[in-house]
Amino acid sequence: MSAPEAPAGWKRLFLRYEMLLFAALLAEWLLFHYFGTTTNRRGVVVGFGTMDRQFDILRHSCEIGLLALALTPIIITAGIDLSVGSLLGLCAILFGKLWFDGGLPIPAAAGLTLLIGALAGGLNAGLITGLRLPPLIVTLGTYSLFRGLAEAITHGAVTYTDFPASFLFVGQERWLGLPVQAWLFALVAAAVWLLVHRTVFGRSFRAIGFSPEGARHAGLPVERRIALAYVLAGLIAALAAIIYTARLGQAKADAGTGYELFAITAVVLGGTSIFGGKGSVTGTLLGVALIAVLKSGLATLPIVIRLNAAEEISGLLTGALLLAALTGSVLPKILSSLRRHRQAG
Amino acid sequence: MRALRGVDFDLAAGEVHALLGENGAGKSTLIKVVTGAHAPDAGEITVAGRMVHGLTPTLAQQLGIACIYQQPALFPDLTVAENIGLRLEHGGTARRIDWPARRARTADLLARVGARIDPEAEVSELSMPEQQLVEIACAVGAGARIVIMDEPTASLTQREQGRLFTVVRELRAAGVGVVYISHRLEEIFALADRVTVLRDGASVGTHPVAAMKEADLIKLMVGREVAQLYPPAEAPPGDVVLDLKALGCTASGVRDVTLELRTGEIFGLAGLVGAGRTELARVLFGLTPADRGEIRLNGRRVVIPSPRQAIELGIAYVPEDRRRHGVILEMPIAQNMTMAVHRTIFPRGWLRDDAEEALALDFVRTLAVKCAGPDAPGGTLSGGNQQKVSLARWLATKPRVLILDEPTQGVDVGAKSEIHKIIRRLAKDGLAVLMISSDLPEVLGMSDRIGVMRGGALATVLPGGSDAHTVMAAALGQETNKGAA
Amino acid sequence: MKRHFRELSVTATLLLVLLGMAVFAPAFFQPQPLLSLVTREAPTLIVACGMALVIICRQIDISVGSQFSVCGIGAGLLAARGWPLPLVIGAAVGLGAVLGAINGWLVAGLRLPSIVVTLATMVTLRQGLNLGQQGAFVNLPDRVQWFGLSQSAGQWVLVLCSLAVLAALGLALRHWPAGRQVYAVGSNAEAARLAGIRPQWVTFLVFVLLGALTGLAAIMNVVQSPQVQPLAGAGLELKVIAAVVVGGVAIAGGRGNLWGAFAGLLLLACVSPALTHLHIEAYWEKAIQGAIILLAVVADGVRQRRSEP
Repeated sequence: MSAPEAPAGWKRLFLRYEMLLFAALLAEWLLFHYFGTTTNRRGVVVGFGTMDRQFDILRHSCEIGLLALALTPIIITAGIDLSVGSLLGLCAILFGKLWFDGGLPIPAAAGLTLLIGALAGGLNAGLITGLRLPPLIVTLGTYSLFRGLAEAITHGAVTYTDFPASFLFVGQERWLGLPVQAWLFALVAAAVWLLVHRTVFGRSFRAIGFSPEGARHAGLPVERRIALAYVLAGLIAALAAIIYTARLGQAKADAGTGYELFAITAVVLGGTSIFGGKGSVTGTLLGVALIAVLKSGLATLPIVIRLNAAEEISGLLTGALLLAALTGSVLPKILSSLRRHRQAG
Repeated sequence: MRALRGVDFDLAAGEVHALLGENGAGKSTLIKVVTGAHAPDAGEITVAGRMVHGLTPTLAQQLGIACIYQQPALFPDLTVAENIGLRLEHGGTARRIDWPARRARTADLLARVGARIDPEAEVSELSMPEQQLVEIACAVGAGARIVIMDEPTASLTQREQGRLFTVVRELRAAGVGVVYISHRLEEIFALADRVTVLRDGASVGTHPVAAMKEADLIKLMVGREVAQLYPPAEAPPGDVVLDLKALGCTASGVRDVTLELRTGEIFGLAGLVGAGRTELARVLFGLTPADRGEIRLNGRRVVIPSPRQAIELGIAYVPEDRRRHGVILEMPIAQNMTMAVHRTIFPRGWLRDDAEEALALDFVRTLAVKCAGPDAPGGTLSGGNQQKVSLARWLATKPRVLILDEPTQGVDVGAKSEIHKIIRRLAKDGLAVLMISSDLPEVLGMSDRIGVMRGGALATVLPGGSDAHTVMAAALGQETNKGAA
Repeated sequence: MKRHFRELSVTATLLLVLLGMAVFAPAFFQPQPLLSLVTREAPTLIVACGMALVIICRQIDISVGSQFSVCGIGAGLLAARGWPLPLVIGAAVGLGAVLGAINGWLVAGLRLPSIVVTLATMVTLRQGLNLGQQGAFVNLPDRVQWFGLSQSAGQWVLVLCSLAVLAALGLALRHWPAGRQVYAVGSNAEAARLAGIRPQWVTFLVFVLLGALTGLAAIMNVVQSPQVQPLAGAGLELKVIAAVVVGGVAIAGGRGNLWGAFAGLLLLACVSPALTHLHIEAYWEKAIQGAIILLAVVADGVRQRRSEP
């Protein structure tokens, strides 16, 4: 297995990719701004170009962004977690239940929900690191289990609503000019960025992703580090659930359905390798922004409005985007092996 | 460094031709060339009188060349019968599988090689020797005309060995040519017709076995010692730092190792492949913890359940498999160097680029690592420099006991000498060095004492001035006239 | 006996459950509802057979649900346009094969992890379908219903057809060299290559086969009602993967067989009616499915740990 041929400065190459992402984000934003903004009959500017829209984008991107942040350390360790979206739903329901049926004050309910999220992550962690089971099938099982529990607890029908205004403030109002949850998101983003890029934990994740046996021989506690990544993901998914509930004003069992796709796409798009080792939180954030702008911007395009197919088109494009990002990530490997074949042949 | 230099080797039909040589003499490379896994740079291969160009594994198989490796390439989830069937049946995908015929044929082949294995057994349930026998059955079944056996009896019992000899004799009687690689001289004398000895990539002679004695073979294997300059010890060793008593680990095959290691000394660990040297190192480093015996560090009894614990106790292990366990190729040199010392160099968990860079630059200087800078990925370095980075990683842990596993394997001559000087300097500075090496001159030149392992146990401990003949004899398990220390 | 411990224990559990039902809820065994239940599950069985092959080959495909929906709608649209039934069936199978080929090329050709690839194709197909259909049903001409036969005859045709597919594939997997190659590639792809097998080709073909079988299953589902629902395939992948995994097909590849998958599917199919008769709400079904997947995987893991030294 040959080592990368890049000279010292692979860091530089990486920065270049993120520059590309930023440029793409800018281009996308400008495109939607041009095509998605119009002036209606009363002379008011509507569509993409409004401040309201931008804040909406920000609000919507917080939950998927949190899930993408949660997935980044896991994917860096060459693992995967398909259950984060379902866990969001389960935590939302439990949060509502603790508050409504349990009568707990909101902060207590929130705290307990975070704990439950961490425990759920711990279930994944225990099965994956303790019993050495493949993350794929474990999180596929918990993907079904968590969503199933959410549906069962609510009998598929119950929705928790009528949350106090002080709580809804978190999801629907602004603080110091920005949506409240954006501040929370920024906090978590900063924390995850620090964890991945500036702590020994992040360094371990990277080493484990590149070579688990190599990491073990260096004395790194491989299983403990991997477990940490999954528990953290559970915790963050729980936080996303609380924010989701605050934004929508209601907690339903189908909360977060399909979010895992967007989260994984954001991570892979951001430059984190699905095979592990290489990864960047900044890239993930840019990936989240790209997808959030895409989702929101599509809804403002006249064609899409006429077809009334915002969700479908954004889902379609996201799926295609994920495939493109995956293909792009392996293209260099394929091209170089083709070149080697031609030389040897 | 060339792995093979102008080797002339011929195999007649119906003969057993033994191939002898110490580790790294070139036997594996010769096999790779003959089975088509490696293309030779020069020379020619002739099979059954016809010259062969561009030998590939498939072509080799078609020409009737089969090789029984030490690591069988079998399908663990499938039965023995299925494994043999998949390898031997080349009838296209249209035919229906005849299970009874397959089972019968497998049973027949297994019986011929004397393997008491149920054809319906799952390969994952077989022991390694049993898997080897399945491989041999495969080769027999493939009707190979040239069968290469690479250390086939390494993990067989006496009775299984006896059966294997019968198989080999039957093959010979059937006109098959067998290349028999083994370091067990008694086997060579029992089975082989001729023997070729390889040394440093070249053949030092092919002789009929009947005309040779043990001592002659050992002499050929070891040759005259090349007067190479190794840095000598400057002071006598100090106190005992590591004390092993009857140390054993059932899982990895290490048994009853008793030795003492002193500060300032280089203790060479010699032995043939499979003797248990790396396994001992892994026990000491906590990768496969001991379940028998005692380990004492500076007089205190310790237990080493994990690599982390070993590092805390001051034991460091520079692994043999550099590319998989030593250096993470995709990560920068500096990060590789600090991989084992996160606790000390990043005390509160936060990465500190300045401390990391300082450490890296320091080691780059003291170990003379040729690189484009501390940020260069490990994969851009040459083998010798990668080894230095691996060494740096462990020196950073400030160990008291340093275990080196094949420290100069795959390293060019110049870097080799540098590394030797470094090792001697480390010993002088007070480290106790346990050096595992298959390079006999290196072991002889560097070690203050030489431990020879055989079959998972420590066979004998020889003084530093011992000659190659004695060491090799001990490794082979031969009685020598010179007597062991 | 030991080799097939898993398949046997699943079958034993199934018999126990059936016994329990016979005692506590004999209404379950009324011929007509039972036949209807089995007929409804027939398409799932066919997909499970294909999925078993993919998993034995050490891959996975979570896009089968979307493939199912697309093939179903496609077949329905063609039928509504007056295409003769044999052509419609052929088109459904062909469409499925093409979708499977896309997955197969991405996984085998580009060496991408199958979980992420099929996640992407799953969503792309589903959203593409939603975009095209806008959730609208497709009304089918009468001649398509039950293949133009009576309901009871049609049901028997479907059940027998699915059993035929099961038997044919099961026998092929066991007695046909090509079938054994799937096991070989899943067990040790490198050894397979050395033995003259082409792992990438085998991987590609199992995905194509799964797609074709999904197409067949879709048409078998289509003929069971007067309309085709675009949401028809929802949750299919989890159901099928759960059945296969419970039945003893290991995620790590190389082991398991279709009889186990069949037993697993029947066992899981009993869960829903068992819940009804036990007066547990149907909403627990997904949770139980997930729990069953986890239990099956844990059992596999424990078994492997015990066999390791």
